[in-house]
Amino acid sequence: MRTATVAGIVFANSNDKLLKRLTTHRSMASVPFGARYRLIDFSLSNLVNAGITNIGIITKEKYRSLMDHIESGVHWDLDRKNGGLRLLPPYSESGIKRYSGTVDALHGAKDYIKRCKADYIVLCAADILANVDISAVIKTHIKTEADITTVYHNGILPPNREDAMLFTLNTDNRITAIGFDGEVGAEHKYGIGITVIARELLLKLVDDAYDNDLPSFNRNVLARKVSSLKILGYEHSGFVTLMNGTDTYYKANMALLESDVRRQLFQKDRPIYTKIRDDMPTRYGTKAKVTNSLIADGCVINGTVKNSIIFRGVTVEKGAVVENSILMQETSVGIDTQLNNVIADKNAVIGDGMVLKGTDEKRFFIEKNEIV
Amino acid sequence: MKNKKCVAMLLAGGQGSRLGVLTSKIAKPAVPYGGKYRIIDFPLSNCTNSGIDTVGILTQYKPLELNDYVGSGKPWDLDRLDGGVHILPPYQGQEGGDWYKGTANAIYQNLEFIARYNPEYVLILSGDHIYKMDYSKMINQHIEDGADCTIAVLEVSMEEATRFGIMNTHEDGTIYEFEEKPANPKSNLASMGIYVFSWEKLRKYLIEDENNPDSSNDFGKNIIPNMLKDGQKLKVYRFNDYWKDVGTVDSLWEANLDLLNPKIDLNLSDSNWRIYSRTNGMPPQYISDTAKVENSLVTEGCEIYGNIDYSILFNNVTVEEGATVDYSLIMPGAVIKKGANVRYAIIAENAVIEENADIGGDPAVVGTDGWGITVIGAGLSVGKNAKVSANKMIVNDVKEGDEI
Repeated sequence: MRTATVAGIVFANSNDKLLKRLTTHRSMASVPFGARYRLIDFSLSNLVNAGITNIGIITKEKYRSLMDHIESGVHWDLDRKNGGLRLLPPYSESGIKRYSGTVDALHGAKDYIKRCKADYIVLCAADILANVDISAVIKTHIKTEADITTVYHNGILPPNREDAMLFTLNTDNRITAIGFDGEVGAEHKYGIGITVIARELLLKLVDDAYDNDLPSFNRNVLARKVSSLKILGYEHSGFVTLMNGTDTYYKANMALLESDVRRQLFQKDRPIYTKIRDDMPTRYGTKAKVTNSLIADGCVINGTVKNSIIFRGVTVEKGAVVENSILMQETSVGIDTQLNNVIADKNAVIGDGMVLKGTDEKRFFIEKNEIV
Repeated sequence: MKNKKCVAMLLAGGQGSRLGVLTSKIAKPAVPYGGKYRIIDFPLSNCTNSGIDTVGILTQYKPLELNDYVGSGKPWDLDRLDGGVHILPPYQGQEGGDWYKGTANAIYQNLEFIARYNPEYVLILSGDHIYKMDYSKMINQHIEDGADCTIAVLEVSMEEATRFGIMNTHEDGTIYEFEEKPANPKSNLASMGIYVFSWEKLRKYLIEDENNPDSSNDFGKNIIPNMLKDGQKLKVYRFNDYWKDVGTVDSLWEANLDLLNPKIDLNLSDSNWRIYSRTNGMPPQYISDTAKVENSLVTEGCEIYGNIDYSILFNNVTVEEGATVDYSLIMPGAVIKKGANVRYAIIAENAVIEENADIGGDPAVVGTDGWGITVIGAGLSVGKNAKVSANKMIVNDVKEGDEI
């Protein structure tokens, strides 16, 4: 089946500032999530599951961690001659210029867009957590002969997302108005950062916007074209989370403890792929007491773990109690240590007999490589 | 094509008939092990970690699953520009073709494959054992000794020696005699079925053996004794670490549960000697608040709502609430439904144990007379409330309420 007619572009640094401590040294795309993933795994897997194997990742800064994660793309089946995965770091004809907006970013990626031989481009934001059937979106886009199709979710608008597009649709799903800054806590049809557009049209719109110094593709281009272009909305009614802060990040991880959410995010016919570490299965010791938790491979659990998300290679020693916490890769928890409402970044070392408790309002954050 | 120092030939063609229903549809090296591995992951990972990048896998019996699993060899770093892993089934030549008649004949039929790399040494392996081994040390000893053939051996007890091919050696490790399953063993050095040959010698003896119509074309029965007779230099390479044959249901079960034994050093994610496997796309395991998991290995895709003790759960296994699993292996995709009890059993891939079924027998309860591991074959279903006692091998669905 010829699938080379669609290419994908992922924005790796979408809204880095919203997850402050987790993005100090990494892009939003690289933020660890769900015991074994990075946020970008969802966008990449959505694209790959739609048969899209030509994918460019636009990055602005702090992309070392991302480069390390994606390697050759082989883990998403993207180590290809035909297409493949490409990192698109900042590029500009007139010296190195970091992207200052999505128009800039897309303009900098023009070379890639021009050369990718695709009829359509799917734009994805890395800060959206969802399993979306992008091939269904593309099919609809082609069938309805839309100029642009963008995916939305009908739900409560979270705070800190003034950048989210809010749609008004008519009965034919045509978007008649795009607004921003909607009422937080109220129900809206908000965009989830997945847009299908013909490659030629994208190039034209980006060129026009760039020549006119317009910064944002959504706000300054799409929002102004609802009358002149046929922009359709495609509803995604399944589970979705817009990252808007550490609290949402925490709650999104914890949502995975519900079987319904797992069923929606991890689908057998649209799996989420990620980099493989070849860990051994997780070992539970004699005194292990694990309940309501999501555990990755390579862990050694000898203590109590409750309501927690445990990443790969984590060790929890005897007598330790870990509750309501997120422990990222290679964290170690010492003997008799108690953790509650803790988020530990990679390689954190927590010694014996420690007591670290955060609260619902303010979780206890341990930095990457920190020794406590 | 570059000349290789050593080419490995992995004999993966046997049926493994002693594993019964576990190999009724797949070859033995494809049998699942340790939660997320297959037996063949061990020789393949050992090769790549030993610096051997050219491996021929000789398949014959029901190779489809194995071929699919091995693919181009990427998970084991064996997808190479020059060399890499190659599946070698029997093939037709100009004068017809033949199934592999024996271990030596299988290599004989692939002499041309080996010749393409013009190696100095050939490593013969089987896909039947769980072990971590640095073959380069064995090859170095072979080179230092100036041997024609080096055979890896394991020290066993004198009682066990009656079950193995035993190498009788001089003090310097030179083999003077080989006895297959001796009633009165003269030594306790058991052959591991791992050989390093100098290429020219191997070629010579394989060709001679093929031309002998009375030969059974077997390394142990023919090639080694012939080389000994001719006064060739055969030496043992002593191996001291964990090595387990997984050719029977009992030994497969034991080898798996050895992973849970703190006294046994079998770390498969040792970064210095990782065992690789092919997996992807599965979510992390979920342990619910009704679950109790102790002394066990659990891996990706599992959803655990019941009680697990001293067991190994493979990928995508579901254990529902109220179900119990003890001293058992639950292979990929199997489902243990509400209230079912499984003990001292191997539940093969995608089998379904329906509600309140009862599988296997605890030797402490049912006695050791006639006791054994119960095996439920791949894809089968054991109906609600059915009971399957110890030492049974189930090859057909078991109906609701039936007792076997």
